[in-house]
Amino acid sequence: MSSDVPGTVKLFFREAIARALREEMAHDARVIVLGQDVGRFGGAYREFDGLYAAFGGARVRDTPVAEASIIGLGVGAAAAGLHPLVSITYMDFLMLGLDPLVNYGAKVRFKTGGRLAAPLVVKTTAGAKGQGVAHSQCLEPWLMNVPGLKVVAPSNAADAYGLLKAALRDDGPVVFVDHKRLFPTAGEVPRGETIVPIGRAAVRRRGSDVTIVTHGYMCRTADAAADRLAENGVACEIVDLRSLAPLDAETVCESVARTGALVTLEEGPTACGVGAEVACRVHEALGVRRIARVGAAPAPVSSNPVLEAACLPDAARVVAAVRRLLLS
Amino acid sequence: MDADAIGLLRSMLLIRAFEDALMRRPDHGFQLLSAGQEAVAVGVCAALTADDQLLTSGRSIGPALARGLDPGAVMAELLGRASGPNRGRGGRGHIADPDAGFFGAHAVVGGNLTIAAGVALALQLSGRPGIAVCVFGDGACGSGALHETLNIAALWKLPLVLVCDNNGYSIATQQAAALAPSRLADLAAPFRIPASTIDGMDVLAVRDAARAAAQRARLGEGPSFVECLSGRFSTHSTATRETRAPDELATLKARCPIRRLATRLEALGTLTADARSCLDGEVADSVAAAIAFADAAPYPDPDELLRDVV
Amino acid sequence: MISKLAVPGPIEDVEELRVLAWHGAPGTAFAPGALIVELETHKAVVEVRAARPGILRAILCEPGSWEKVGNALALFSDDPDETLPGSAAALPPWIVEFAVT
Repeated sequence: MSSDVPGTVKLFFREAIARALREEMAHDARVIVLGQDVGRFGGAYREFDGLYAAFGGARVRDTPVAEASIIGLGVGAAAAGLHPLVSITYMDFLMLGLDPLVNYGAKVRFKTGGRLAAPLVVKTTAGAKGQGVAHSQCLEPWLMNVPGLKVVAPSNAADAYGLLKAALRDDGPVVFVDHKRLFPTAGEVPRGETIVPIGRAAVRRRGSDVTIVTHGYMCRTADAAADRLAENGVACEIVDLRSLAPLDAETVCESVARTGALVTLEEGPTACGVGAEVACRVHEALGVRRIARVGAAPAPVSSNPVLEAACLPDAARVVAAVRRLLLS
Repeated sequence: MDADAIGLLRSMLLIRAFEDALMRRPDHGFQLLSAGQEAVAVGVCAALTADDQLLTSGRSIGPALARGLDPGAVMAELLGRASGPNRGRGGRGHIADPDAGFFGAHAVVGGNLTIAAGVALALQLSGRPGIAVCVFGDGACGSGALHETLNIAALWKLPLVLVCDNNGYSIATQQAAALAPSRLADLAAPFRIPASTIDGMDVLAVRDAARAAAQRARLGEGPSFVECLSGRFSTHSTATRETRAPDELATLKARCPIRRLATRLEALGTLTADARSCLDGEVADSVAAAIAFADAAPYPDPDELLRDVV
Repeated sequence: MISKLAVPGPIEDVEELRVLAWHGAPGTAFAPGALIVELETHKAVVEVRAARPGILRAILCEPGSWEKVGNALALFSDDPDETLPGSAAALPPWIVEFAVT
């Protein structure tokens, strides 16, 4: 869906999020925001700026530090007719609320035979940025195989805006995962109301030699790697998944069918990661065996700058992985 | 003694007879029975209106029947038939009929507490009449979920009644070995939530306490905690061994909530022998009809596995 | 001598800034410490203040425009009548102080 207003406006990543919420909260009185410091403070990244002033403290509620109950509240309120967005500032702490999210939220439609649903969005921020082992994780794979749970991960302001609108209109539950390193960025966002459908990947860059499949902040790393590889005559195609569950295997496979080679890239560890799922789906569909996965080394992500840098994938590692794959 | 008392007795008799009939079947499945704890289910439901929502733990048969769900539909759900309110998918652990004010059971110990708070929040924010009531066992009282629910319910004055159906055991572990407070209602004290401890084998006491708590919630005064001291006549579940000595069980059964109310009504002349026979007959017919309905109901088709997942 | 006011920096964790508001117009004289322009980052506002007296001669970036550290924002001079050059490229920097609020 895209309204008739043409053109784009450049917004900070946080403004794209606030805009999506402001529009949906204006459309739909059932949309509320719950979380730590979401009210007057406007959120850890100012991603909820202006909402408290516009909609008041009944609809934009500060909660205590109690993720299990915050998510349970959101799930229960959703099942009872509201459309809540629950903010979990650090994805690392989503695990405190996995029982209500997974054992109730993801299962309530099934277990009640469709009598109840949980149209809830859990918005959480993943990723490493010098904050240490318990404030740096990318846990998307933990959620991707839960039947009943949708997971989306924007890589830029426009998709943050469009995917969040889609998530807020979805029957849910949807986990919306953004990234610490996306907040300092800015991007062109459509001026008119626009929804980015859940379940559709986007081809960010066209190329014929290799397909890099990635999501979130790593799209920028992929882009930087692709620039370097292009200088040496290697043309990369970059597929930005945007949705992790449901995952758009069709777009991925269509790309790899042309390039014949796949490199998956994620900031989290490769073991049982997003790339593992993508690689299997591609291999099962196409029989392609030129596959490599790039992700974090299998260690916790320390706040120590030397160790953090040693742990996380960067453009150089992606370039090396592509070269190794294409030479093999 | 009020006219409703006969209705309360009938409800409790129905639960007892329903469970007896269920347990006589070889295909009874994995069940947690309410026998002995009927007064809590029936007394709480007597305080609810059609606008309210009841949430329970996995010990749901008594509350579901007390809330007015059709016994045939409940039996079908327990036996995995598609004619149950949840197409046989939830069973006893997850049975739900929100249109009937039974938001449902959830089989995770303490798992329904924060959910119930969310339901209360939705009711409060949307300005709908109605409150949320959550029944849980003493087994849930060691969990962080209870502490978090008490805190947020008190802070936001949620229209929520928390009913602790304390049968004295978390499966095989006695209350004193699992929980530091001797009076579980004291768990609500730090949050300044009104709390009471009552005889959970006395349906009228349960009803009166539940009504007072419900009224506070309806008036916007916030949550209450009602601890009902009860006792289960069976094992924790059909998969659990009995751990209590015969004389402990005998002492407990002497406090049967059904016998207690019936004796009172008989003594008052409100319940004659004929009237009691009539009640027993109605209940037996109801249970027989429930069994027949469930037996005639189809199982769900395997092809519907992927329906209503996402 | 005409100087250019550039986006000051470095500012930790900031890639791009958006011009928020000018606190003067061509011809405005600024004393040391006076607020010249506010720039928005993703989380805060940067207040750019004069470090020496001078006159704002031309605004190169309107409110709402996006700039990086080092981009030219405006032209300053001591003499209100000095002729403005065609390009800001080779101009010396106009000294300012800045604070991230």
